[in-house]
Amino acid sequence: MQKGMALMKCSDAARLMHEYLDQELPRDQCKLLQLHLRECPQCQARFRSLERTDALAHALPSVSVSGDLTDRIMKSLPKSRKPKVWTGWVQRHPAASAAAFFLIVMLSSFVAMWNQDEQLSVRGDLEHVVIKGNTVIVPAGQKVAGNLTIENGEAQVLGDVEGNLTIIDGHVTLASTAHIAGKVKTVDRALDWVWYKVTSWFDTVAYGS
Amino acid sequence: MKPIETRLARLARKGDQRAFAEIVDLYKDKLFHLAYRMMNNRQEAEDVVQECFLRVYKHLDRYDENQKFSTWIYRIATNLCIDRLRKRRPIYSLDAESSDHEGLDGYAMMPSDDRTPESELLLSETQQTIHEAIETLPVKYKSVMVLRYLQDMSLQEISDVLDMPVTTVKTRVHRGREFLRKKLEHKL
Repeated sequence: MQKGMALMKCSDAARLMHEYLDQELPRDQCKLLQLHLRECPQCQARFRSLERTDALAHALPSVSVSGDLTDRIMKSLPKSRKPKVWTGWVQRHPAASAAAFFLIVMLSSFVAMWNQDEQLSVRGDLEHVVIKGNTVIVPAGQKVAGNLTIENGEAQVLGDVEGNLTIIDGHVTLASTAHIAGKVKTVDRALDWVWYKVTSWFDTVAYGS
Repeated sequence: MKPIETRLARLARKGDQRAFAEIVDLYKDKLFHLAYRMMNNRQEAEDVVQECFLRVYKHLDRYDENQKFSTWIYRIATNLCIDRLRKRRPIYSLDAESSDHEGLDGYAMMPSDDRTPESELLLSETQQTIHEAIETLPVKYKSVMVLRYLQDMSLQEISDVLDMPVTTVKTRVHRGREFLRKKLEHKL
């Protein structure tokens, strides 16, 4: 039996040497290798140098890292992990995200349209008013027939208005001589503006004016 | 009870910055050592470590707690090193062919004065030889050898980190070891 072990091929012995260095060689195979090495000086030399290489490689000293690396790493991190949570939500709820996105686009275009409308516009009886720049003046002694609506402008009323006076995004100055038969209404915000649009539509439907 | 890194990772995932700083402290030296042996350049090694932690931080949600945290973080770091080495290779081969094109091929962008840190470590001549031998290994052997010898990983752990069969890892360790032995032969 022992003779057979000694007849192990050198190439097989080399494989066993590596497995031994991997710490994966079973005990009985260790014995086989030992026997071969005892009889084969070449393999013995090879084993010695492999063992030495292995030990030296393991012993390579570790390098020190510069002291402020932790600080630099912590500073390089994004401030909060929250955005990740947000995108995670988007990934999990694609339909809701699409709906929300659509809503945002609609709202922003609506607001944009509302903001675009910055020119002065006057509706009503234009024959009895004077327009100076951004100001609509109802001169003293003049009588405006029906409603007067002013968008994006100032109103200065010295005379009479026989209907309602509505000012959208502007101010109204009433002189002591002014007389307004209907209501005076100023609309400032987008929501009020919407409300105004809705009620005026209702007025149109209800009274046909 | 989960291992400490897993618990820290869980805290960090909830936004606890101090827990993440502890993870950094636990791993920065090991990862730097790994990256330094792979890149053989201090600055690049630091860049790799920094990028690695940034990725870990960003992808904490993807960390699977059934896996060892160390395996996960080492995988990220080794992949970063391998990517960088692969990108670097054509630059070196160009350089080997002709030095006339220096500056045109991007070689000049590599800070060469950073690449001589061994002197500061006062390595013995044989250690120096081993280090140089590791440096000349092809990337696929280098990563296996660095994990095996400088991180003391078992073959199984290396196979998990590099996502390849244990038998492949084994073959590469054996060949790598033979390569080092031959390099050392006339020095010993």
